[in-house]
Formats: sequence, structure tokens, C-alpha cells
Amino acid sequence: MTDYISRYSRDGHVFLPRKFQGFPEIKEALIANRMQAGFMVAPMAMALRSQGVPIKIVYLGHRYGSAVVVQKSGPVRSVHDLAGKTIAIPSRFSDEHLILVRALRKNGMKRSDVHMVEMAPPDVAGALAVGAIDGFSMGEPYPSQAEIGGYGRILFLARDYWPDYMSCVLVVRQDAIDRRPQAVQVLVDGIARSGLWLDRGRAHRDAAADFVGRYYFSQPPALLRWVLSRDLQRVVYSPLAPRKADFDLVRDLMMETGVLDRRIDFSEYVDTRFADGAAAATAWRYEPGSARAE
Amino acid sequence: MTVKRTLALVAAWAAAITALHLTLNVDWSSLLNDRLPAARRKFHVAYIPVT
Repeated sequence: MTDYISRYSRDGHVFLPRKFQGFPEIKEALIANRMQAGFMVAPMAMALRSQGVPIKIVYLGHRYGSAVVVQKSGPVRSVHDLAGKTIAIPSRFSDEHLILVRALRKNGMKRSDVHMVEMAPPDVAGALAVGAIDGFSMGEPYPSQAEIGGYGRILFLARDYWPDYMSCVLVVRQDAIDRRPQAVQVLVDGIARSGLWLDRGRAHRDAAADFVGRYYFSQPPALLRWVLSRDLQRVVYSPLAPRKADFDLVRDLMMETGVLDRRIDFSEYVDTRFADGAAAATAWRYEPGSARAE
Repeated sequence: MTVKRTLALVAAWAAAITALHLTLNVDWSSLLNDRLPAARRKFHVAYIPVT
């Protein structure tokens, strides 16, 4: 979205977006310096930093927007019913994994009560439709895709178990931060302004669903309208500044589930100066269809 | 059909396919960006189609 609008701005277009189908591929591209920045799930970014990969989290992509979905006509009606079921997650290093663990614990269950399998996000809706899995924990638009398709039902939303839940974060390679901090700031400012623009109301959400679906996600705009506009709280785009308390919670859950082996400090994997720099950002002044943005 | 005409058709077909390939499969924005001085290069930003 930031790419689309910033193309119409005078000096905001500082990056080239590249679509991937899974987080592991983004990880490899960042390590190889084929990508200088990228969106990935927060636990994966923290684990990579913990392993010495020179990246930093500089901003969030959104809050909420993840859900656990089960077969619509299946037997699962509550979290307790997940016992013994096969549930797909995007990665062990994902917030969607952690939200499932958190929900299980809050219902007196253990992680091992559920059979979790890793699956690329674009594959989960199809796998649920044919009965290859009993459910999935995934970011939008895949929960909505299963709902619209008539074969999936939301068991719970991330917000039901995790206030201020976050999922995708923006990471930037350390050498890019060191050499071109101004460009990183422009990128973060653009994302902050996009978030504020999206949270201004349904008309902006509908417009974003249209151009993001057609030009970036290759997904039907109607699906993204379902995600973004039916319930404006299903995904929110402000505030996106990284907060220590949110990340401490993720880190502690990662350690408890064995996907992080040391108590990495917030300042080691987050650089907050760009979020601080974007704190006074205002929403894009852009009307859908216009060829000018400020 | 003469040999000359056949060769002309093959050449035209190859040219058309090459043009289509260069249009559809080559990432020109990335190629041109990589030729810029480092300070002017745009970042490559990875994303997957989830919100």
C-alpha cells in the first residue's frame, strides 16, 4: 500500500516491493542481501537476530489480523476440541504458533495436545477445504478466504487471547540502516502514514483492497474488502511503533516453546529511532483515483 | 513456401517471442536499480500476501 501511494508523492518512493510466498524464502533473501528489508513474523526476526543475522526490527506491519480457523462442519466447537487435531501454522517461528499455544494454555491444555504442521500461508485454505488439516492458525486473508469459501469457521481471533497482538514486522539489514538511515526513515514514515490513512475509515479500506488485491497480492479485491472493511477492528494499522512489553511477551513465549534459546534483549533486535522519527507522521493526503499524494 | 519466406517467418516468430519474454519475464526495474550508485539505489522490500 505504501508503495502504491508513495509513487504519487514527490520524494516518498524509495523502495521496490518484491512478493514472496513464504517467510523462509524472505529469510534467505535477507541473509543473502538480495532484499535489504522485508516483512516477516516477529518471532522469526527475533530468532534470526539471536543467531547473529545482521537485521533489526524497525516497525510493525499491522496489529491483529490473525485467526484460528476450523472446518465449518467439523466437530471442533471450542479450543478444548482441538485436542488430537492437525492444525497448520506458517512456521514454528511465528506469532500464529504462539497465539495457538497461548489459547491452549488458557484452556488448561498443552502444546503437545495438538498436532501442529508447518505450511506456506497460501496453501492452508485449500488444505482445509479438502480435509487435509482440521484447522489452521494464520494471518489474513486466509481465514477470510475459508469463511467466504464456505468451508471454514473462525474459532477465535487473535484479539480474543492476546490484546495488542502483533504479527508481521518490518526488518531492515543493519548495513542498510548504517549507510542509509534517511531512506529507512522515509520507508517507515510511509508505512506509518499508510496505517493512519487505512484507519481513517471504510472508504479508504475499500480502495486499498482494490489496488492491493489487483497490483500486489494477486487476490480478489472482494476477499480483501471482506478482511479490511467488514469489521474495521479485524486488522488495525495504528499504533505500529514497536513496544518493549509486546516483544518481551513474544520472547518469553518463544523461550517457553523452545524456539529461542537465550533471553535476547529488546535493544539487541529493535531499533526504535525510526518509529520515534515517525511518531508525528500524519495520514497520507491521497484520494483514491488521484494521481497526487502528499 | 520458399526457403527465404520460411526463414523470414522463423525470424519474425523468434523476435516476437524474445520481445514477449523481455517484457514479461525480465525485472527491468530491479535490473536498472542495481546499476545505480549505491547511494541512489532503492531498497528491495520483501513481503508475502498476508495483511
